[in-house]
Amino acid sequence: MLYKISVPQVADVEEIRVLEWHREVGEAVEPGDLLVELETHKAIVEVRAGQKGYLRKILADAGNWQAIGLPLAVLSESESDAVPDDAQALTDLPVDFEIT
Amino acid sequence: MSSEPAPAMQKMFFREAIARAAREEMRDNPDILILGQDVGRFGGSYREFDGLFEEFGADRVRDMPVAEAAMVGVGVGAAAAGLRPLVSITYMDFMMLGFDPLINYGAKLRYKTGGQLTAPVVVKTTAGAKGQGVAHSQCIEAWLMSVPGLKVVAAATPADAYGLLKTALRSDGPVVYVDHKRLFPVAGEVPVEPVAIPFGSAKICRPGSDLTITTHSFMVRTALEAAKLLEKDGLSAEVIDLRSLAPLDMKTIVNSVARTGRLLTLEEGQITTGVGAEVVTRVIEHLGPIQFTRVGPLPAPISSNRILEAACLPDANRVANAARLLQSPKKLVSSY
Repeated sequence: MLYKISVPQVADVEEIRVLEWHREVGEAVEPGDLLVELETHKAIVEVRAGQKGYLRKILADAGNWQAIGLPLAVLSESESDAVPDDAQALTDLPVDFEIT
Repeated sequence: MSSEPAPAMQKMFFREAIARAAREEMRDNPDILILGQDVGRFGGSYREFDGLFEEFGADRVRDMPVAEAAMVGVGVGAAAAGLRPLVSITYMDFMMLGFDPLINYGAKLRYKTGGQLTAPVVVKTTAGAKGQGVAHSQCIEAWLMSVPGLKVVAAATPADAYGLLKTALRSDGPVVYVDHKRLFPVAGEVPVEPVAIPFGSAKICRPGSDLTITTHSFMVRTALEAAKLLEKDGLSAEVIDLRSLAPLDMKTIVNSVARTGRLLTLEEGQITTGVGAEVVTRVIEHLGPIQFTRVGPLPAPISSNRILEAACLPDANRVANAARLLQSPKKLVSSY
């Protein structure tokens, strides 16, 4: 099954800048793994995986901007699921996010 | 036809645009220093001075106690002595405490000394309602527009925050630089090439033909939302971001109202003797009678209660309603 991670709904934030990806495309992801750091106008948001899977496609590289709620990456349960062009329709992967 | 490529732009947060302008000017001119609460290691109340303490040190980026009268006094005095301070007042409400040193000493210094002394101080302050209640919500820039010798500017975008701060830090002063709590979450494109925006220059941020909306600071975003609503009714609103309140860019405003015939002024500060009152008066002086209305908050302090705050402040619907009424030939009383 395919999933997306989207920019979390952080209060008072309209859009974020991607600071750094901590996993590469193709890598396995475990629950609790730090996937990406996002920068808001106030602080840094750490997005951690809530379930295991494989990171398959990054939609916003470090330095790029993305609005709240829009997709950042595509993940899949198995290594070889075909990755769709449009991520918006995918189910959101459960994530934990922490504002530092 | 110009074949020059569009200038390279970089997207950044409002606070980053402020930090960038301050950093560039501080590198260029060793006399510039920053005074305020939490400007040092903390990087500014809104992180708008991030990195400056690390680069320029405690001598040039100085934390001050919560004492606005003293801070502004120190700033004006330091400016008269040859430095170029930026005094950061976190809440515009408390700028009132600094009015005496700023106005009676800073703004009047040039006049009192026959031009021999000036006070090149920038008082940067954050205005606006955002859930923090009656003493942390005010927009009082209109109170300052009439002070001879004082310049007042207000950016609504990161590009203007950057360009106007550069000019402020180069100015003879004193300058009041007003930003807004609700603008800090905003990101926008800023020219990569360092360029200052002159004072006295308004910007048409949305061209239109049926009415002119003049506004500044956060209300520019409200005006643009209202313009989108009006478009659905077939009304074309021209939105002018004033950017500079003292001096006002009357040329841009008058040219616009001469074309559209109708003027709606919008501000978050009170409309009684507000920015709009001055704009309307001057437009009428230039063009003769026109259809106009002033839109602003209710005449009440802004509550920290979310519902009461929203009830007091202008929003896109209220602005659009006022604009629709303006199309009617009947005489209008300024509406909320």
